[in-house]
Amino acid sequence: MKKYIILILLTCSFSVFSQEKIQNDDLTGLRAIGSPANPKVKMAWNHYNDYAMITKFCQDLAKAYPDLVKLESMGKSYQGKEMWVLTISDTKTGNVARKPGFYIDGNIHSNEIQGTEVAMYTAWYLAENFASVPFIKQLLQDKVFYITPTINPDAREDFLKNPNNANSPRSGMMAMDDDGDGQADEDKYDDLDGDGNIVMMRRRSATGRWKVDPENPQRMIPVKADEKGDYEMLGYEGIDNDGDGLINEDVIGYYDPNRDWAWNWQPDYVQRGALFYPGTLPETQNIKNFIMTHPNIAGAQSYHNNGGMFLRGPGAEEDAPFYSTQDASVYDYFGKIGEKMNPGYKYFVIYKDLYTVYGGEIDWLALGRGIFTFSTELMTSYKLFNKNSEEGRFQNNEFEEFSRLMLFGDAYVTWKPFKHPQYGDIEIGGSKKNYVRAHPGFLLEEDAHRNMAFTILHASQMPKLDVLEIKQKALAGGFTEVTATIVNEKVIPTHSAHDVKYKIERPDFITLKNATVVAGMIVENEDTNLTKEQINNPQTIAVPSIPGMGVVKVRWIVKGKSDKFTVEIDSKKGGLVSKTL
Amino acid sequence: MKKLFLLSGLLSISLWTSAQNSYQNHTQLSARIKALSSKFTSTVTLQSIGKSKGNRDIWALAISKGNASNKPAIAIIAGVEGTHLAGTELAVQMAEKLAGASTDSIAKLLDSKTFYFIPSVNPDAQEQFFAKLKFERGGNETETDDDRDGYVNEDSFEDLNGDGIITQIRVEDPTGSFIISKEDPRVMIKADPAKGEKGKYILLTEGTDNDKDGSFNEDAIGGVNIDKNMTYDYPIFVAGAGDFAASENETKALLSFLYKANNIFAVLTFGPANNLTEAIKFDRSKTAKRIITGLLEKDASVGEQISKLYNTQTALKDAPALPQTKGNFSQTAYFHAGRYSFTSPGWWAPKVQVAKDSTKKEVATLAKPSDNEEIKYLKWADSQKLSNVFVNWQSVKHPDFVGKNVEVGGIAPYSKMNPPVSYLTESANKHLKFVSALASQMPELQIVNVNAESVSAGLTRISIKVINTGLLPTYAEIGDKVRWVQKVKTELKLTGNQAIVSGKKINLRSTLGAGETQEYSWLISGSGSISIEAGCATTGVKTVNVSLK
Repeated sequence: MKKYIILILLTCSFSVFSQEKIQNDDLTGLRAIGSPANPKVKMAWNHYNDYAMITKFCQDLAKAYPDLVKLESMGKSYQGKEMWVLTISDTKTGNVARKPGFYIDGNIHSNEIQGTEVAMYTAWYLAENFASVPFIKQLLQDKVFYITPTINPDAREDFLKNPNNANSPRSGMMAMDDDGDGQADEDKYDDLDGDGNIVMMRRRSATGRWKVDPENPQRMIPVKADEKGDYEMLGYEGIDNDGDGLINEDVIGYYDPNRDWAWNWQPDYVQRGALFYPGTLPETQNIKNFIMTHPNIAGAQSYHNNGGMFLRGPGAEEDAPFYSTQDASVYDYFGKIGEKMNPGYKYFVIYKDLYTVYGGEIDWLALGRGIFTFSTELMTSYKLFNKNSEEGRFQNNEFEEFSRLMLFGDAYVTWKPFKHPQYGDIEIGGSKKNYVRAHPGFLLEEDAHRNMAFTILHASQMPKLDVLEIKQKALAGGFTEVTATIVNEKVIPTHSAHDVKYKIERPDFITLKNATVVAGMIVENEDTNLTKEQINNPQTIAVPSIPGMGVVKVRWIVKGKSDKFTVEIDSKKGGLVSKTL
Repeated sequence: MKKLFLLSGLLSISLWTSAQNSYQNHTQLSARIKALSSKFTSTVTLQSIGKSKGNRDIWALAISKGNASNKPAIAIIAGVEGTHLAGTELAVQMAEKLAGASTDSIAKLLDSKTFYFIPSVNPDAQEQFFAKLKFERGGNETETDDDRDGYVNEDSFEDLNGDGIITQIRVEDPTGSFIISKEDPRVMIKADPAKGEKGKYILLTEGTDNDKDGSFNEDAIGGVNIDKNMTYDYPIFVAGAGDFAASENETKALLSFLYKANNIFAVLTFGPANNLTEAIKFDRSKTAKRIITGLLEKDASVGEQISKLYNTQTALKDAPALPQTKGNFSQTAYFHAGRYSFTSPGWWAPKVQVAKDSTKKEVATLAKPSDNEEIKYLKWADSQKLSNVFVNWQSVKHPDFVGKNVEVGGIAPYSKMNPPVSYLTESANKHLKFVSALASQMPELQIVNVNAESVSAGLTRISIKVINTGLLPTYAEIGDKVRWVQKVKTELKLTGNQAIVSGKKINLRSTLGAGETQEYSWLISGSGSISIEAGCATTGVKTVNVSLK
């Protein structure tokens, strides 16, 4: 009897247990290493997302992970779209607003679309792996991410939904008079054959200097100096809409949202694409307000395309002196690891290795606000065949070959005849807008992950402060000397050297609580007793910065004794930490 | 009843006159500007171009007959530098005189030109003039941590002698680098070791070192100075300049107004800089780089022309050398917005020549006026018997200098740049004369030598010359670089069966100098009359009609 009962109980409990057990796919072989097996928010990372899809993704993620993800708008775009920003952190641990913050945005240039997907992937990955990857859990306990998938939602929508080429619009949607005729955006590209693509126009010509590549009928190549050609190239698909004798001379925009920022801003005649003053665009204003009201942001990442580059500032050579050796070494640390994390990507300095940019976003973040910032040019031709071509883009045929072998010709519009109102009999064809600059689908998820990993490396090295030690020493006259050692366990200092020089952010405050402080000082060298006194408000010592992987020591002279001293570190970028003896 | 009328009449007159006798705060100024616009409804249009951080309207007056934005314009801007109330008063007086002018040549100008007045761009700062504690404030109401130490406004001024104004303190101290001037014992000057002088005094602004950081009054109330917040040569991380260029509403409002009003040919800013009594020289090395930091060659010669005009029209002399300052509006208007940009304080203390002791022999000779701006100013104030411009040095007890001889005194805040309002009437007249003369030299486009000849039946060759008959170029040379400045456009307007066989419909060209011509010709097929328009926003558009042969 007893035996039976036990058996029944066992069976019951077993059956109850087995009925209630929810299978965790992450604990089975379903989980591919590094990816959630059964994410709450189901996403495919092999396509691009329009505004409605981005909005839904943000809402779904916030709903699925209410303790981790908060969705807000940082303001409206020029056309009135919300600029979504996801705040991602473990809200159950610490005060989110005081954690070191990492800002991510993408798509400032509307045609550089995949930054949005990389930013979304990052948000998704962080939320979906919080429970299963201890490193991510710790990261979200310590830090907060602010992720804005697109900061140019208006023109992104135009790029995705309307006929465009890989380079248009790039601008925002504010109409401008590009050709000085008093009309704005009156001679745009025209999708002549109505296939949704803006491709190239060519015309047979006895005097043309182009020919069809005999190896690849899709490809046009210039003829040799002494060779006779049979085609002339007529530019992108379009007609002379306004009858001024020019074709496609006043397209959408044109201005450059990445020349609208308040560091070494220059007018349009110096820096093409600039507007009236830094922050002419509502999108720029919104981001600036967001950054200014989140002084905890210590690191930032902006996604562009293309070329496979981890870029740091400055954009202009004359700003090079603002990057001290100390600050450059922090960037070098990330850049060098980045080159390993993402084969084919190179760590570069904008003005030196790319071109001059005045009034760019990352210069404002890095030099205007003292935030360690990278911008990444996503996608490189290295990814096609996992090697760099030895020839330049116009000599090699790797994109055509990749389309033929891997995409079965999907990347190109085959040349077809068209009767053009100005040019007569022409042919139109060429690469689709989502080719060359944007990733083909199957490469998108991989590159999103690699770039996210680089960003997480960067974010994980934002300051982490701790009170390493509080020492007491009795002095004559009933005073006690209290010395605290403050450590920064990460690579990024609480203030860049540039920040310290120009006092961009206030100093870090280190306060001794539960004590009657009569004097306070920074200990410059404990062994030789070199100190620097702070006369006013000695209880709260102001230190200019807590260096990366380094320490600062502060000392107070206290009346009497105590065994309950509390040391509090209050750093805008390093967070709020306190320890009681 | 009659009595009442009389009384109310008297009251309004006295209000008007009192308004003319002192500087005005924003409320008074707003009322005065509104009164002006409602008095001259047909010529004056009032608009708020934005609000200051302290929620005060930034007023813009457009004075013109008819459609103001369609006419070439001059903009008079003042009060960007908040300590300069004289400029604001001058601008408003000029607007009043211009709007009120009825019969003379000035009134005639309003037929063809527009005059914009933005008299107070930084009203928050100007309000400090009227506050209980008077100190020279350049900043708006944005809260700023001027010394970037994490504490906001923690080291303001203190009125140590209780006179309601902030002057200076001098502390007798062996480490001081100042001495009392021999020329005028009221004035402190820097000791010059080359002349064998040794410093005796520390000179500071009136107040205490509240936060004991060794600096005095380095973080007082008062936020961003709009005249340091503009885009050209913006001073990074300088107290009062803001966190970044164009961070302030006032800055954005003024720049947006200027950029959008592409009919503005020239800007005259009243403020603490002067490029009018002496023109800026052309310096090729400053124009040869990607970032241009000097006037372009043709603009420099226009600068000379206008400087001569200013000196003859205003007959003002002995102007102080006031170089342009970083991040100011005047330079931004030229280098970034591409307009001719002139600036003057509008008023400064004239030099006073003091006769030497008449008991001595050299009675006839006059003493050389001092080079020291403060001494020059005080001599002038003495000659005018102005009171309240100098606070005599008086001893006070100072907590930071216990046991030391500390005195409060010095020139009263605002007074050097802002004389009693009665002194400004003459200056307003002179500057209106200058602005009128400038307006009458402005470019004027004509389409001349219009020729239509038949090439063959139904085919006509039209040729024209576009000439600038004004005395100044159609716009500044730098305007040709600036995308937002409208270029000189000549356009054919076709109708019916007309078609262009040769030539362009729209022809854009760079600025046309005074007397310069541009020739165009077209082959047109078809019949009837064709119209040709030529002009740009800073000249207005002229039209001719030509019959096709």
